[in-house]
Amino acid sequence: MIKSLSKAVLLTAVFLLAFGTSVFASGAQETADEGIVLSTYLQIDPANPQQAGYVEMQAAFEASRPDITFQHEYATGEAFHQKFQAMVASRELPDVFTTYIGKRTAYVTETGNAMDLNEYLTDDFKNQFSAATWEAQGPNGEIYTIAPSMAVCHSMYVNTTLLDELGLDIPETYEELLAQVEPIRAAGYYPVSMGNKDQWVVNSWLLSAFVDRMGGKEWFSKAMVGDASFTEPPFVKSLGFVSEMVEKNVFSPGVNQMSNTEADQEFYQQKSVYLIDAGWRTSAMVTSLPQEQQDAIEMIVFPALPGEVSPNSSAAVLSEGFGINSKLSGTPEGQAAFDFIAYYTGKEGSEIRLSTGEIPTFKLDYSGMDLPGLQMKYAQFQQDHPMGYVIDSKMDGEGMGLLNPDIQAMMFGNITPAEVAERYEAWVVENDSNRMK
Amino acid sequence: MVESSYKRFSYYLLLLPALILYLSIILFPIGMSSVLSLTKWKNFQMVGFIGLGNYVKLFADPGFLRALWNNVQIMLISVLGQIPLGIILAYVLYRKFVKGFKFYEMMIFMPITISSVVVALLWNRIFSPVGIYTYFVKWLTGNPDYVMRISESPYFAMVPLLFVLLWMHTSLYMVMFLANMQRIPKSSLEAAKMDGASESVILWRIVLPALANVIFTSSIFAISGSLKSFDLVFAMTGGGPVDYTNVMSIYLYKHTFTYNNYGYGSAVSLVIVILSVGLISLGRALYGQFQKKFD
Repeated sequence: MIKSLSKAVLLTAVFLLAFGTSVFASGAQETADEGIVLSTYLQIDPANPQQAGYVEMQAAFEASRPDITFQHEYATGEAFHQKFQAMVASRELPDVFTTYIGKRTAYVTETGNAMDLNEYLTDDFKNQFSAATWEAQGPNGEIYTIAPSMAVCHSMYVNTTLLDELGLDIPETYEELLAQVEPIRAAGYYPVSMGNKDQWVVNSWLLSAFVDRMGGKEWFSKAMVGDASFTEPPFVKSLGFVSEMVEKNVFSPGVNQMSNTEADQEFYQQKSVYLIDAGWRTSAMVTSLPQEQQDAIEMIVFPALPGEVSPNSSAAVLSEGFGINSKLSGTPEGQAAFDFIAYYTGKEGSEIRLSTGEIPTFKLDYSGMDLPGLQMKYAQFQQDHPMGYVIDSKMDGEGMGLLNPDIQAMMFGNITPAEVAERYEAWVVENDSNRMK
Repeated sequence: MVESSYKRFSYYLLLLPALILYLSIILFPIGMSSVLSLTKWKNFQMVGFIGLGNYVKLFADPGFLRALWNNVQIMLISVLGQIPLGIILAYVLYRKFVKGFKFYEMMIFMPITISSVVVALLWNRIFSPVGIYTYFVKWLTGNPDYVMRISESPYFAMVPLLFVLLWMHTSLYMVMFLANMQRIPKSSLEAAKMDGASESVILWRIVLPALANVIFTSSIFAISGSLKSFDLVFAMTGGGPVDYTNVMSIYLYKHTFTYNNYGYGSAVSLVIVILSVGLISLGRALYGQFQKKFD
């Protein structure tokens, strides 16, 4: 009985082994016959209408390069990062993957897993892009990704129809904005919609712009490395403006309970006069708002703050792009992967993405293009305003886990701007990688 | 003798797959976590051993202590809210105090059949500043600035979450209790009624003692479930605003996967395991005492 059981177990094991070997062996053979096969792991939701440009670009590239076959895998948000981190930990990275320029994917870029693209970048190629695209991404001037576009992280959208109805003008100064709160509320509208439920929104979309206004890029660069402190006036005063805006009822109620999608809806439904959001929100407005309403929306930066040193500025970060597995360096697969990235960020891909609302870093000739009005305004906005740093793209993420909740606590009146700054500076001194260099 | 050796060998052989599974998916991760919890990580790389440094940091961090307190609140609402309410609802249905038994059973059971994420979205739609509840109160009071300020309070921000947890999970216990009540011999109830026992006497003297085992098992579920609460809380509040609704698993998740601090995250996970085992053992000991007393 025991003997026959052992035989059965042994036979089953042998069968499973043989079956598994044959399956994997045949899989390898198939891929070898298909030319170059690139595996990808991209933070993209192909079903999202806002990413139509990517879908169209991908189809166009595949049509132009039949010698390259893709094995795609997509994910979005935190789910993307979780699996990506597991891939890095197990050294099972795909050939092409989504890479951020800031700290968000430091676990890939700072661990030698992403290829330095400089080996493919010629001056002729680089000259076709806006200069900001080539800011160093690593300590030795590495370029891990070609940013396909700039992510403008502060814009103030104005409903000019409501403003006209109330007999008000677009405010040029902070004081003028505060003076509008009472008449706007008296008419039954909310002054500014903004959704900070996800905690990072006020930091990225408002405070970053304020800090640039009050200190400029130079001060921020000093604060990053410890030659200045976050307890100094540029940072504390910027927090103070956010706090004052809450006190003076500038935001619609429940700003910290509202998601930014809900805040957008409030503005789209014409319940609020202004919306503070990212610049890329224009693509959603172009697809979801009636033309008449789109025409009545203006894009401005926040009005002039008292004591500002960098007037008229917004805040921006190069958007995420695609990186290449460093194992492909010097191989035909590496070249094919770069060709894909060059197509995506280059002329062909940029024209496709522009048509779906993205403003590319590739220098395109906009004259004669038939673009939606809001999209042209966004392109113009990028040209007209100096761009400061976005705090969470420059500083360590763990510090944001302290700063962002503290900003919310400050907005509830439980902590002062100076206390927020002190707590953050203390954390940065002890922990932030910029201060450790 | 030979047959006995074969038997022993076959027992070990049959036990082996389960043992390998248990070692690899339970003991190995716990062991690895214990080792990792003694290390410091930066940017996805281990930078050295720091002994008990992570544990010292953990219990000095008000963020963790708040998360721990929030888990205790969830545990209290589970053990002292969901289970008693589940018993009451089950008893009402068992004794057929309402007409339409099947309808009520189905309606009460429904929340547990819905995914936690969907439940979170549903209640977010109700409680949000642009949600149905907020809109209704604005309309009723004429106050355009009304929002649920309780969610912004460091002391009461957990209340909406606790309410949703109560709403969602009570039904599971109700079904468990109802199934066990239906196993109580009808003759016991009939005899009690013939002796003139009131409903409260039936509940206290017949039904509850018969349910003692399942109440204990449910308490273990409730305690362990409370300590690992994640999905509903994460989808509903993400631990915010501030960190007023943070729980230990979200704290663990953020430190491990967002900040890539695997050492610190492992220390948190080990504390959760120790607390779970400790509380369940305590419950088992108390139940043992209870059984002795009644035996």
